[in-house]
Amino acid sequence: MKHIKLKINGKQHEFLVNDHEMLSNVIREKAGLTGTKVGCEQGSCGACTVMVNKEPVLSCITPALRYDGAEITTIEGVSTNGELHRLQEKFVEKGAIQCGFCTPGMVITALDFVNKNPNPSIHQIKDALSGNVCRCTGYKKIIEAVAEYAEEKHTGKLIIKKEQKELKGTVGVPRPYIEATKKVQGIADYADDYQLKDVLHTKFVRSLHPHAKIISIDSSEALAMQGVRYVATGKELPITFGVLPLSQDEEAIAIDKVRYVGEIVAAVAADSEEIAAAACKLVRVKYEPIKAFLTIDESLNDIGTAEKIHNTTKFNNNVHKKAELRFGDQQQGLKDAEVVLNMDFEMIGINHGFTEPHATTAFWDENGLTMISATQVTHYLHRALAKTMEVPLSRVRVIKPHIGGGFGGKGDPFAHEIIVAHIARKTGKPVKVRLSREEVFLNNHGRHPTKMKIQLGANKDGMIKVLDANVAIDGGAFGSFGVVTSYYNGVLLQAPYKLDNFGFVTHRVYTNKPQCGAMRGHGAVNTRFAVESMIDDIAHKIKMDPIEMRMKNFLDPNSLTVGKYRITSNGIKQAINTVAEQSDWKNKHGKLPKGHGFGVACGFFISGSALPIIWNELPQSVVHLKVDFDGRVLITSGANDIGQGSDTMLAIIVAEVLGISMDRTFVIAADTLITPVDLGSYSSRVTFMAGNAAKDAAENLRKEMITAIAKKKNVPEEEFIFSENKVFSNDKSVDLTWEQAIEILTANRGAVSVSGKYISPKLGGDFKGAGAGLSPSYSFSSCVAEVDVNVETGHVKILNVWGAHDCGKALNPLAVEGQLEGSWHMGIGQTMTEEMTYYNGLLVNNNFLDYKIPTSLDTPPIHTNIIETIDPEGPFGAKETGEGAIHAVLPAIANAVYDAVGIRITKLPIKSEDVLRLLKEKEKVSETSKVEI
Amino acid sequence: MIAEKVYLKPTSVEEAVKMAVLHHDSFRYLAGGTDLLVNKFQGNEESNCLIDLCEIEDLKTVIKHGDPIKIGSLIRLDDLKTHKLIKDNFHALVKVAHEVASPMLRKTATIGGNVLCENRCSFYNQSEWWREAVGYCLKCEGQICIATGGKKSCFSKFVSDTAPVLISMDAQIAIVDKDGTSIIPLESIYTGDGIAPRNLSKTAIIKSIILPSNRHFNCSFRKLRPREAVDFTSLTTAVSIDNKGKVKLVAGGVDPKPIVVEGTTKDDKNELIKQVVKKARIVDNDVYSRTYRKEMITVYLNQIFSEIGH
Repeated sequence: MKHIKLKINGKQHEFLVNDHEMLSNVIREKAGLTGTKVGCEQGSCGACTVMVNKEPVLSCITPALRYDGAEITTIEGVSTNGELHRLQEKFVEKGAIQCGFCTPGMVITALDFVNKNPNPSIHQIKDALSGNVCRCTGYKKIIEAVAEYAEEKHTGKLIIKKEQKELKGTVGVPRPYIEATKKVQGIADYADDYQLKDVLHTKFVRSLHPHAKIISIDSSEALAMQGVRYVATGKELPITFGVLPLSQDEEAIAIDKVRYVGEIVAAVAADSEEIAAAACKLVRVKYEPIKAFLTIDESLNDIGTAEKIHNTTKFNNNVHKKAELRFGDQQQGLKDAEVVLNMDFEMIGINHGFTEPHATTAFWDENGLTMISATQVTHYLHRALAKTMEVPLSRVRVIKPHIGGGFGGKGDPFAHEIIVAHIARKTGKPVKVRLSREEVFLNNHGRHPTKMKIQLGANKDGMIKVLDANVAIDGGAFGSFGVVTSYYNGVLLQAPYKLDNFGFVTHRVYTNKPQCGAMRGHGAVNTRFAVESMIDDIAHKIKMDPIEMRMKNFLDPNSLTVGKYRITSNGIKQAINTVAEQSDWKNKHGKLPKGHGFGVACGFFISGSALPIIWNELPQSVVHLKVDFDGRVLITSGANDIGQGSDTMLAIIVAEVLGISMDRTFVIAADTLITPVDLGSYSSRVTFMAGNAAKDAAENLRKEMITAIAKKKNVPEEEFIFSENKVFSNDKSVDLTWEQAIEILTANRGAVSVSGKYISPKLGGDFKGAGAGLSPSYSFSSCVAEVDVNVETGHVKILNVWGAHDCGKALNPLAVEGQLEGSWHMGIGQTMTEEMTYYNGLLVNNNFLDYKIPTSLDTPPIHTNIIETIDPEGPFGAKETGEGAIHAVLPAIANAVYDAVGIRITKLPIKSEDVLRLLKEKEKVSETSKVEI
Repeated sequence: MIAEKVYLKPTSVEEAVKMAVLHHDSFRYLAGGTDLLVNKFQGNEESNCLIDLCEIEDLKTVIKHGDPIKIGSLIRLDDLKTHKLIKDNFHALVKVAHEVASPMLRKTATIGGNVLCENRCSFYNQSEWWREAVGYCLKCEGQICIATGGKKSCFSKFVSDTAPVLISMDAQIAIVDKDGTSIIPLESIYTGDGIAPRNLSKTAIIKSIILPSNRHFNCSFRKLRPREAVDFTSLTTAVSIDNKGKVKLVAGGVDPKPIVVEGTTKDDKNELIKQVVKKARIVDNDVYSRTYRKEMITVYLNQIFSEIGH
């Protein structure tokens, strides 16, 4: 160890550091400046960027000893005396911050860049930020923030947007997240930022085999190592778990056999991570490998005498779930249709790619178990911990800190959470774990690899007559959300088009790979891609504009789908018209030279599932409000803000109903001890359900206030006006400031608490499977993409994406835009570069260098449009916006490739070599036909 | 017990070499460290002693004595553009440096480090656990090459982007070792053996990269990668034509060493390109298939020839 001095943010520090210790570790763990984030441990994500002697440095791959005596500025040192730096203000104002995990690195990188390049072009900004990964924003608002800061710096003139001065009220006003200033300063705490006293660190021994019996585990050597406190094995945690009651098939630590390469077989807790990692190497595990099933086809077929992955499957194969629903008569539809297309598609699995790796801390005290974890669903984790720890629900508390993105990947209860809870109980100490990026990929729960055979029939007038989908999805080793995914692959095809004859069958199979689960656009992205591609193909065959064909088939507002989904508001026509007009579709599609093309597609999605996944009679969401003498309204909700802005959404709704400013609200969310149950952040449910609960709660508080004021003022109980921090009646017989009104409310009573709830109406048909995909409301979206295809190399470059999304009502347009841009960016990733590739069940690209999330340079200009249709049941008309937008962008890009070069894409990602091969095949065919002519 | 680690920071090349001799059992020089430290985290680099060259100022200069321009090996990739001598004479080098990795990495990574960048393979650049699970390949003391399904040679890819451009311009390197200084062609240090891809003595340090300034190279390059930033190369091709009509074609990313083919402007360029393709030992250890990368050698080299007017 060596002694070094570092001046960090103006403060002189002295540290003892290990010779090979990285600067990020010293900054985070020794100086306690956890604003500097570690997302990849290989310099590929940029989250760890700090300034050292006025130069930006990736602190996760920089030895601390290199900079003995240096002056360092971390994100915490960018603001001055609590005043944000102007660039930070721009990040906040522009909505460039969602989850906030990349923000510290982005801000430091951008600051350095603009200082050295005072008048940059947009391309130069994109180039400068291309080593900093953001998974939330699609970079658009970050680039805008940097550009505007640079312009101000260059011209010396502050840019203040007019509308910012003029907008009043709360709903519909674009505003930054309430926690944005905290995130931009690096002082928002994420799961790995919590530093408890005397904490033990956990590392895992992971399986080397995809499918193997565990013969023995010898941990004696590991236990004997200095600093090792506990080694846990599977037999200590015999109770299985899973997010769905139907799929409680997961062991926290493998007990008798392993089911994928990377499954946890032992856990070591020690005084430091380094010791725990070293001790893991001393745990001896003997395996007896058995036949592994690595593909969909292997698992669909009868497996003969081999051992099944789970012995709970019905037949002698590895089919986890078969979901099938049929409406109308598909056979007749296929006979009747004038054009029938029969196509196969294949999609590889992809990962959420959130920037914050999983991290968890657990401890036990007189109150039972407390866990701080990066989770999208505190409620399901609460239940899973009580079950696996065998304690009453009342002895478990789960706290969600700030979350660095989820996209479905933090929605399940996880093995690592159960393990640290267990070891914390066994050792009596707080126990912590943070996963490496490789482990995050092994944990997966991402989008299922999918094979599809789809039949689509239409008449020459463009009317769709029949849709039949035969889908197989690769679930990996465990169930996760897979039963739901199985249904969603089919049921979420029944809109936005009218279908009389529609059916699907999905088989979800277990394979010996990391499990798949829910990911943004859950279950519907891949089949939507197939169907939208086929609609495009039929449109070309019948020589009809693909937009015209879609327009003919759209469902109307206030209609029922063939599977009895109740469509309320529906802005699909406005959406497609908007992108068509904005992109100049009429003059571009089919009219450009070879290699240049335009494509269109549509999609829709649920605003939360109408049915809970754990059947009970609790409301889907409850929100509590408490107001005391000081007039501040405390909002408590179990809804998990994972960077999508749900805390801000709750505050907006409450402030709007009560007519108060946002600074008179305070949100506490997702702490199972303090906050009422909300089912969490998945299935795009929070704005609709928690938003409605917040609205109900605020209306209840308003009623209480009206009653109290009417009594005090001796006036009839009428609908007073709550506006601009005042409560008044039209005749001014009541004319109170908010504080005066609160004084009346709390007189002789004290603090007032009210509750609001949301319960979905009874919906849907009366048949088995009718509940799948049922939602009180649906979002609709459309995209147009413009691409350039290089016919020499096959390389596809996206030039523009125009998107429009019907979110009912944008409660916070800035947040809605951010969600849309992030969705389209993620869709671009799946279309162009992202894939999880395996070698004998071993994930090959398990890091941010090899798993290729589009950089700022790979992200085309995105043109964002919000469509408002004011849903009758959404809070102030709002419905989902976090997931639905993704669906349309993938097929829009592929359809643009078709327009450019006449090649139909049936596999994602679109690889240059596939395009080139298909181009050559196409040329051969046309050469042959020329000869024949 | 966890082994004791050592970190040293010499201030001269001679001191660095002395330290290396002292720790010859287990040491590595550290330039920027952006490649080496990641390999260290993954357990592919296990040296106990790191000799960080970052404070050797002699390695950070760009000088011209007579014809050749000597580029200090510790010049950061991002700084190449700030040196007028480089910008004016070797524009393609500045451009190719900008194609390496990402902006942040280029602010730490050095040109010396880039030409010595460790060869890569999908089956090698993995964590220790991963390599154990896959059964260890030849490059990490296993028995076979996994990428080729069992060959007894290692085909890890040469991935430097700057080296193909430098080699195309007949770059030499000045090497300091315990026996003194020597100057050799850059291309001569690459062995073609994926396991030990360079023949430099372990204690040797590249002091500078030397480029002739009086040959007025017409040089350009192409890089194949899935994204426009961050990614290592799947194929980097470079062509230089000097003022006497010498043509030099170089391809990286398709063999354990850079493929080099020389000719003159009188030669049939298609024949020169064919030679490059023929020499490349491409295997499936990349995100692009071997077939596609092979095909792109020809496409890219033709594009470069068109661009530089041959």
